[in-house]
Amino acid sequence: MILLQSPSRFLLQILQDRVLSGEKGIDIDCHTVEFDDVRYHIQFSMRNPKVMVLSVALPLPPPEAILYDGLPLGAIEAIKAAYGPVVQILDPPKDGFDLTMKINLTKLPLDEEQRNAILTQIASIREVVLGAPLKLLLKHLASKAVAPNVDKLVALVHRPNESFFLAPQADKVTIVYPMRFQDSIDIVLATSFLQEFVEARRTAALNNVPSCMWSPAPPLELKGVSADALNANAGFVTFVVYPRHVEGKKLDRTVWNLLTFHAYVSYHVKCSEGFMHTRMRRRVESLIQALDQAKSDAEKLKKLVHGGSFKRLSLKNEVDSRF
Amino acid sequence: MDALSRPAVVIDNGTGYTKMGFAGNVEPCFITPTVVAVNDSFSSSGQPAARGAPARGNWLAQHSAGVMADLDFYIGEEALARSRASTSHSLSYPIRNGQVENWDTMERFWQQCIFNYLRCDPEDHYFLLTESPLTAPETREYTGEIMFETFNVPGLYIAVQPVLALAAGYTTTKCEMTGVVVDVGDGATHIVPVADGYVIGSSIRSIPITGKDVTQFVHQLLKERGENIPPEESFDVARRIKEMYCYTSSDIVKEFNKHDREPSKYVKHWTGIKPKTGAKYTCDIGYERFLGPEIFFNPEIYNNDFTTPLQVVIDKCIQSSPIDTRRALYKNIVLSGGSTMFKDFHRRLQRDLKKIVDARVRASNSRLISGDTKAQPIEVNVVSHPIQRYAVWFGGSVLASTAEFYEACHTKAEYEEYGASICRSNPVFKGMY
Repeated sequence: MILLQSPSRFLLQILQDRVLSGEKGIDIDCHTVEFDDVRYHIQFSMRNPKVMVLSVALPLPPPEAILYDGLPLGAIEAIKAAYGPVVQILDPPKDGFDLTMKINLTKLPLDEEQRNAILTQIASIREVVLGAPLKLLLKHLASKAVAPNVDKLVALVHRPNESFFLAPQADKVTIVYPMRFQDSIDIVLATSFLQEFVEARRTAALNNVPSCMWSPAPPLELKGVSADALNANAGFVTFVVYPRHVEGKKLDRTVWNLLTFHAYVSYHVKCSEGFMHTRMRRRVESLIQALDQAKSDAEKLKKLVHGGSFKRLSLKNEVDSRF
Repeated sequence: MDALSRPAVVIDNGTGYTKMGFAGNVEPCFITPTVVAVNDSFSSSGQPAARGAPARGNWLAQHSAGVMADLDFYIGEEALARSRASTSHSLSYPIRNGQVENWDTMERFWQQCIFNYLRCDPEDHYFLLTESPLTAPETREYTGEIMFETFNVPGLYIAVQPVLALAAGYTTTKCEMTGVVVDVGDGATHIVPVADGYVIGSSIRSIPITGKDVTQFVHQLLKERGENIPPEESFDVARRIKEMYCYTSSDIVKEFNKHDREPSKYVKHWTGIKPKTGAKYTCDIGYERFLGPEIFFNPEIYNNDFTTPLQVVIDKCIQSSPIDTRRALYKNIVLSGGSTMFKDFHRRLQRDLKKIVDARVRASNSRLISGDTKAQPIEVNVVSHPIQRYAVWFGGSVLASTAEFYEACHTKAEYEEYGASICRSNPVFKGMY
């Protein structure tokens, strides 16, 4: 569980339950929130037990990212391509959400494997919608051409009010993340984590992965971006992605991993904090043990006598002491 | 959007199952077994790595040995599946009898709950956790420490389970915050009187018969009859038989007769696959269907150390409460926890308790001389609702979706100012009594 998975576990669970549950249905109306402020609203009504209405709210876009009707570039096409007839987009979306879809479970393929594949695909709606523009750019990279009418520098939504930047070229795409953390301890841990991350890239086993750099100041690619988008307290991470990283099946994984880089780092910062606590606890235990061992015999004896005082209360001892 | 406008995360860690989800929903998102499968190779090789300062040179060695293995663990169903499939992982149950025993695995369990199940950023949400009424203040401090230090939560509230169970009934029926909560979980059974939202601490009773004991009893009965179940999963099968087939009977003798007369109607069958050989096996489920839950009402059939039936303990608990609350307490006895889900459990409990109470009223009335006012009959009411299994979670969800919740929370700022001691006490114990 080193990487975060793309399908939302909760969505997948609800969908699978519903497909297996047969005809009878109950009302479901629930909200859930994912990292980076992606919100879902799931509705099933009694009348149509096989139709799910799913609304998705996306993170608040930063000013430099360009959206079309509140959705990232190419999202609608991506949804249609991924789900086909199963999903119908409702326009306008529900109040407070950016996208509302009607998912008709009766139109799912009958073959179990195919069906599960498409359910997983629906559960990864986040990747499909938010990853659409990134996927578009990387597809062009795979065919070694610059996408037409694309600026030199593209800003995409990463987190609420934060974006990451892409500089597409014919043979490579440079991706820059300004990293921001709230807590002061997190900043320190994240900085050293990222430096270690770059260090790890240098080992021989990882020769083919995208090259990765970390710098405390904004790299040259970000020249001309507003200062607001550039105040990052944990430095900047740069990845250079080559066509070989986005070939065929690798594309989806690359898109997802790039899309959730901040969540990935944050997850690992929290994990390492937990790991440190485990070690600190173990250390305290061993210190207490050492202290116990260092106690003189008299002290140990005192404890024994103390324990013995409990015994004196018993009836038999009392009788003994009387004689 | 700040943390106040997002729904709070509600996690109810029980001994058997953990219920987690977002406030405002009716059902928890996930109900998973509270279990962690840890890689054994880590605990042995992690020790030397923890001692010496990590040198840069042996980075790769550490990479393969310890550092990566700190993420090599699974929770919930995945953990059970993993430990069945291979011997490299061993199971660890972080909570025993309602109390956290192993903080290392507990921390990891929370970590996975938050990041892999709920998939939320803990910095974005307020958290509501639960604890049993007998939790030590130190445990509460420790929980606060982990939540604030590791996960950086903006706010935390540690609620008392029975109060939440009462709050769950609050919306479904009437506004009543006085009642006795009978919480029968997998690892702990508590009977907690609550008056106007405050726990009457001195009258809390707990009995050593829990859901796990029912499983054990079913297991024992199956074994004594020599049912053909592979030993490595016999306990698991017993647990599932308990969850699927057990029910409460009104009279054991009658029930025995019914079973003997029409075995085809009452005897169920269990079919499973042996994990080692893959062969199919079947076993019969007979008397244990009603004998399992019977141990709450007649504990002597299960063990000889504790023989006070549940209804007597409840009665004693109410009798030890302040006299002006007793009638209200009898009127609202709320069930919570997965092990009260047996069919007709509440009817049986109500009948048995009513018997005790009526006998007492009759006795006191017979002692009166003519002319004295007679005692009014006492209303006994055992409340049961469909969400009983996760009533505590639902109560938490209701509570956490109110505006007052955010004011009652301990915030990160408070934690940084005063330290973990802010989590020591819970206001519901500081009532008028």
